Amino acid sequence: MVTKIWTERYRPSKFSEVVGQDEIIQRIESLTNSLNIPHLLFAGPAGTGKSTLALIIVKELFGDDWRESYLELNASDERGINVVREKVKNFARTKALGKVPFKIIFLDEADALTPEAQQALRRTMENYSATCRFVLSCNYSSKIIDPIQSRCAIFRFKLLEKKDIEKVITSIAEVEKLTVTPEAMEILYEGSEGDCRRSINLLQSTASISPSINENLMSTVISNAKPKDIKIVLDYALSGDFQNAREKLLDVMLKESISGQDVIKAIQKEIWNLPVEPEIKVKLTEKTGESEFRIVEGSDPFIQLQALLASFVLAGLGKE
Amino acid sequence: MSPWVEKYRPKNFLDIKGQEEAVTKAKKFISQFNIGKLTRGMKKALVFHGPPGTGKTTLAHVTALENDSEIFELNASDLRNKGKLHEILRPAMEQQSLTKKNKLILVDEADGISSVDRGGLSELISLIDTTTYPIIITANDIWSRKLSALRKKTEIIQLKEINYNIIKDVLFEILRKEKLFLNPNIITSIAIRAKGDIRAAINDLQSVSRLKDPSIIEFHERNKEVDIFNALKLVFKGKPTKETLQIFDSVKMPLDEIILWVEENIPNEYSGVELARAYDLLSKVDVFKGRIYKQQYWRFMVYENALLSFGISSAKQGIKTGFTSYKKPSRILKIWLNNQRTAKKKSIAKKYAKLVHVGHKRAMNEFPIIKQIIKSNPEIQVELRLDADEIGYINKII
Repeated sequence: MVTKIWTERYRPSKFSEVVGQDEIIQRIESLTNSLNIPHLLFAGPAGTGKSTLALIIVKELFGDDWRESYLELNASDERGINVVREKVKNFARTKALGKVPFKIIFLDEADALTPEAQQALRRTMENYSATCRFVLSCNYSSKIIDPIQSRCAIFRFKLLEKKDIEKVITSIAEVEKLTVTPEAMEILYEGSEGDCRRSINLLQSTASISPSINENLMSTVISNAKPKDIKIVLDYALSGDFQNAREKLLDVMLKESISGQDVIKAIQKEIWNLPVEPEIKVKLTEKTGESEFRIVEGSDPFIQLQALLASFVLAGLGKE
Repeated sequence: MSPWVEKYRPKNFLDIKGQEEAVTKAKKFISQFNIGKLTRGMKKALVFHGPPGTGKTTLAHVTALENDSEIFELNASDLRNKGKLHEILRPAMEQQSLTKKNKLILVDEADGISSVDRGGLSELISLIDTTTYPIIITANDIWSRKLSALRKKTEIIQLKEINYNIIKDVLFEILRKEKLFLNPNIITSIAIRAKGDIRAAINDLQSVSRLKDPSIIEFHERNKEVDIFNALKLVFKGKPTKETLQIFDSVKMPLDEIILWVEENIPNEYSGVELARAYDLLSKVDVFKGRIYKQQYWRFMVYENALLSFGISSAKQGIKTGFTSYKKPSRILKIWLNNQRTAKKKSIAKKYAKLVHVGHKRAMNEFPIIKQIIKSNPEIQVELRLDADEIGYINKII
């Protein structure tokens, strides 16, 4: 059965089909052709082709039987490194059949592992290196401990450029018999933020309403998909009502499963629309940047965001 | 020669100093128990709780003495061991006492009931339900979570730290009876350092009383436990001092949990500039916490601790007065409640995630987009193998 989910249906299955990341594709393709690949570390934002490339590698290496020789794990979903280790152990116990002397383990979101868990992972990688190759993927390679980084060939994936996203969308639209106006395409690209998966999801979501996609329809879908309440959080803060701002913030984050980084993103964009002096806008931006930095580094998003809100309260009072 | 703490342990209500309120309540409980064995809904057990050395066990014994009761004493481990429990209680239940008129069951140091092993606690509660004798329980911290079931069944009496002036008087009285003389300055300093723990004060007194030159003595301060409410009060209301700096060391709670308490209560105390400063410092506490975690370098804890106590305290101008009722951290509870509510969403996201090679957290994040795709396409619902409940959920959401 062919899947109806477009992100899957139109996922490239050959190197030649991949859009963007040209240099990475070349290097990986030649490694794959040599049938001898080292451990790989794919670093980069979501929706830039990390999982896709891992899948292509195994399909190229193992052909139709790729499922036998491929284990996909997601570090942030598994309950602890022991679960990961157990699964790896069971998978690695049997030797690979055929011309390729190893199996492939893809560990997605490896940066979700704590440093201790990564140490354990490193041991696992060593123990099974005769029979397995690891492909790790992460958003930030800085969150991967050095010993693992040094054992891997590192590939940095970039956000997709506008022309790349356009190419992907246009080719899907052709098959699905959709019309997408240039304005709608522009909005779609901005809404995708260079994340190819997101752009395809947005396209399918919009297409489920109508096959002729114009500016209005596209922006309605995008704004529906966006958290609305962040503005309310900021409004509370600027009016000096910290308690309500704080409560609403937690609400938004929990109910809509919005990550701290997404909240920060929304706040950062909102600063320029605030009714405050330019120099305050700059200060708030600086603070916001610092908060985002800390969250990326692994701080508690809720605490960092509260601190940020408190400085918005001050800005609202004209005291900052 | 018995230690002075035993020798001078109060034998009647009048001897008990500095706990007038608790004494009155204890008297009332026992007299009501005597008449009111029949009244329904009356609590049959009493908890004395408070810091060490404030007279919990003493008050229990005095209550028994004054009521002409024989004491049956249990400790936490007896409760776990049914055989032992019955061995102790059988005479209480079956035999008439030879000398005393009444009986009283004392469960000393209920904190010792381990939170892992619930058997002891449930045994104690069923004992309260069935007993025909009054039960007195002592505990340091009745507010600990593991004792919550107990709180509902008992009347709770708090024993406060004893005022240092009262401690001083007691110490002078003992010296008088022992016919000893000590420099009053030393007495004062013992009384202050005891921080409300009269047993500690008497022990210190005895240890210096025979010295030729007691002024050379340096008392080693006991590390005294402070409950989180008092610690928060000190930080939020008081001036930042060296004592503030160490306040959270004496709270028996992991620092991560204390951070949640501070986080929850900052807006109850501070506003405006103070609020912003306090949260700014808290955010830095969190940064150090992350650094410890990442680098496994535990000395960063010094900074974490200092900013959390002294730092947060210094965020205000001067001091604050008045009573604030501090709230328990609500974040963990809210996260839990939310998880209950979003269980369906999560199970759909998980099925979706598996199919499209992403983590289910990311699928949750993208749910606002993908829900429309799943909702409008029954074929995808089949492909995801959604069950009837999940389809119901997805059709309901807008």
